[in-house]
Amino acid sequence: MTAPITLPEQMLRRRPVIGAPVAHGASENLKRSIGVFQLTMFGVGATVGTGIFFVLSQAVPKAGPSVIVSFMIAGLAAGLAAICYAELASAVPVSGSTYSYAYTTLGEVVAMGVAACLLLEYGVSTAAVAVGWSQYVDKLLDNFLGFRLPAGLAAAPWDAEPGIVNLPAMFLVGLCALLLIRGASESAKVNTVMVIIKLGVLVMFAVIAFTAFDTDRFAEFAPFGVAGVGAAAGTIFFSYIGLDAVSTAGDEVKDPQRTMPRAIIAALITVTTVYLLVAVAAIGAQNWPEFDDQKAGLATILDNVTGAQYWGTVLAAGAVISIFSVTLVTLYGQTRILFAMGRDGLLPSMFAKVDPRSMTPVNNTIVVAIVVALMAGFVPLDYLADLVSIGTLTAFIVVAVAVILLRRREPDLPRGFRVPGYPVTPVLAIIACAYILFSLRWYTWLAFALWVSVALTFYFIWGRHHSALNRPASARPGSPVPGVEVIHPPQDVP
Amino acid sequence: MTVVVGYLAGKSGIASLHLAAAAARTLRTSLTVATIVPKPWTYPSPARVDAEYAAWADQLAADSAREAQRELESMGQPVEVSFHSHSHRSVSGGLVQVLEELDADLLVLGSSASGQLGQVVVGSTADRLLHSSPVPVAIAPRGYRGPRGGTLTRITCGYPGTPESIEVVGRVTALARRLDVPLRIITFAVRGRTMYPPEVGLHAEDSILAAWESQAAEMLARLRTDGVVGDDVVLQVVSGNGWDQAIDDAEWQDGEILALGTSPRGGIAHVFLGSRGTKILRVSPVPVLVLPG
Repeated sequence: MTAPITLPEQMLRRRPVIGAPVAHGASENLKRSIGVFQLTMFGVGATVGTGIFFVLSQAVPKAGPSVIVSFMIAGLAAGLAAICYAELASAVPVSGSTYSYAYTTLGEVVAMGVAACLLLEYGVSTAAVAVGWSQYVDKLLDNFLGFRLPAGLAAAPWDAEPGIVNLPAMFLVGLCALLLIRGASESAKVNTVMVIIKLGVLVMFAVIAFTAFDTDRFAEFAPFGVAGVGAAAGTIFFSYIGLDAVSTAGDEVKDPQRTMPRAIIAALITVTTVYLLVAVAAIGAQNWPEFDDQKAGLATILDNVTGAQYWGTVLAAGAVISIFSVTLVTLYGQTRILFAMGRDGLLPSMFAKVDPRSMTPVNNTIVVAIVVALMAGFVPLDYLADLVSIGTLTAFIVVAVAVILLRRREPDLPRGFRVPGYPVTPVLAIIACAYILFSLRWYTWLAFALWVSVALTFYFIWGRHHSALNRPASARPGSPVPGVEVIHPPQDVP
Repeated sequence: MTVVVGYLAGKSGIASLHLAAAAARTLRTSLTVATIVPKPWTYPSPARVDAEYAAWADQLAADSAREAQRELESMGQPVEVSFHSHSHRSVSGGLVQVLEELDADLLVLGSSASGQLGQVVVGSTADRLLHSSPVPVAIAPRGYRGPRGGTLTRITCGYPGTPESIEVVGRVTALARRLDVPLRIITFAVRGRTMYPPEVGLHAEDSILAAWESQAAEMLARLRTDGVVGDDVVLQVVSGNGWDQAIDDAEWQDGEILALGTSPRGGIAHVFLGSRGTKILRVSPVPVLVLPG
């Protein structure tokens, strides 16, 4: 037995890189095959579709036409954070999420805090996206069949127009969970197709909405001043989540020092340009107070502009298909983060149990799906969106801080990618994220503080006693079982 | 006690004969070549078409027996053979009757001619027998020509790790003892496909695979500690990026057969082998033995 360790030691202990799940072929001889285009597609695919289809109805009433500035601020913060993310991902030889990076660089308690943020970034955002989906499904059903769901079954109880439960959103979460349990996945090709669909319908929206463009609608540019711009940026930030997907693929990227920043910037420019086009076109076509709580906003604007349902239907169909794929991918991300935590012993081991029949983490997926479906069914969209933003912004700040800490603590660590303009870039990332954070509403902060303290309490009461690091290396998950041979495929050697 | 092989002249290939002969030699028992011919019409008919039909059926049975005999003789290694023809409305029904009459140990069938060489493909007759046979059914890959030594050398049992499959392992263990061949038990681990865009990295599925590998290894070790299998049994977890790769990695011996259990739950409507069994069957490089539920 080793001597018992003190609480601060326990809180700050880091998971050794050896023993962390190192992927098959994730060694030096792995063929680095992803180029700028594919990487950009990852970024655009993960980002577009999380928010833009419905965020305008939440954000425009907060800032008026100056929401355009909010889009730029949020994009800047997301871009800077993604660059920091890329350095951290390349410096830490484990693959995965911010949770894994935090555990190997900043220690257990920070990892737990980050995990609480990631539950917002993935879990709550899945719920938010599913609510947005339900609006477009309703719109599509109405346009095609002239059938609308009863209002009580398509809205949360505390929504602006209160309902009982948002059934379509819960249905979507259930469907995605079922697909994940069966081991379905989205291939790189399907992702590219989804990107084309999303960008296609958004550009179509902008082109049609510009026909009704009226500069007078921008006359009262910032009705709520700087505060409004900040508040809207907080909500809009939600639509930039996913840009970090570029960074997580770092270990399979050709010449990362060159490719990485190009892909992040290309994805950021693509996403921001499309968002700005959509925002300018939408505000030019409709007076800003009319955005308030508009359901299936973009499709409704098209209906009003053209006076026909045809274009709105096309947009709604595109939104339904692409938001579905976003929900699947985000829900998947959430299950895999909890899986990693279950393996590390910070969550009960049931989260890391693989079902023999489907070879997927079934229990984990069911728990995640139930929680997410309940949120999607009963919490209004704007609360969800703000919670996602606050969680993600905090996680991004942790990433930027980790980059600075790691540079000071381990300056010689080999990094596949180094942040250009260090230390200005990570500091700017922190400032940009913090600016947006502080403009969020007080009750978002309150909910966030409560949630993080719940997670940390769980850590102090349960997690720190069950952490896999408490056990000797030979008793951790993944250690060999005597008498049983494990045969792996031959590694691909170039 | 005998090994029954279903054979029809011109219809089924000779792969099943090779497998059946090897099985009979390994079991040190006789081989019965069974040909199921159509049942003639029993009412007298004015134009004597029924008699012609019966003559044709007899001819078919005789041809099948002759062809099978020629093939078995050309194999060189002796085995005690008898020929048996049986008329029945369906081939599968007839074979089941033969199995029951002769109190057979094993039924051997060939793959459907629609498959590729070297592949195990369940044809329509085999498919029905997988549901109805009272004894284990062995299916030879297309073009199978038997082990070089003339006998089976090892049984590999696929163990999915579900509670029901422990019973299958027990039965395969008993079979291996009767055949007096070594036994290997494999749990396959197949990596899930990567999800794009990679929001949690491109390697999330690797950690799922690693977790399943250690979970599977523990379950295999438990088979030994629970006394289901002995110390001489080889236990392996074999992983791959897909079923084909995983099965390829398992390193098969000449003369090996792969035994799979069936999923009895769910009644008639349930797909017999389960989706996983069907996938394994399709890529197995060795004959597959399916145990009845």
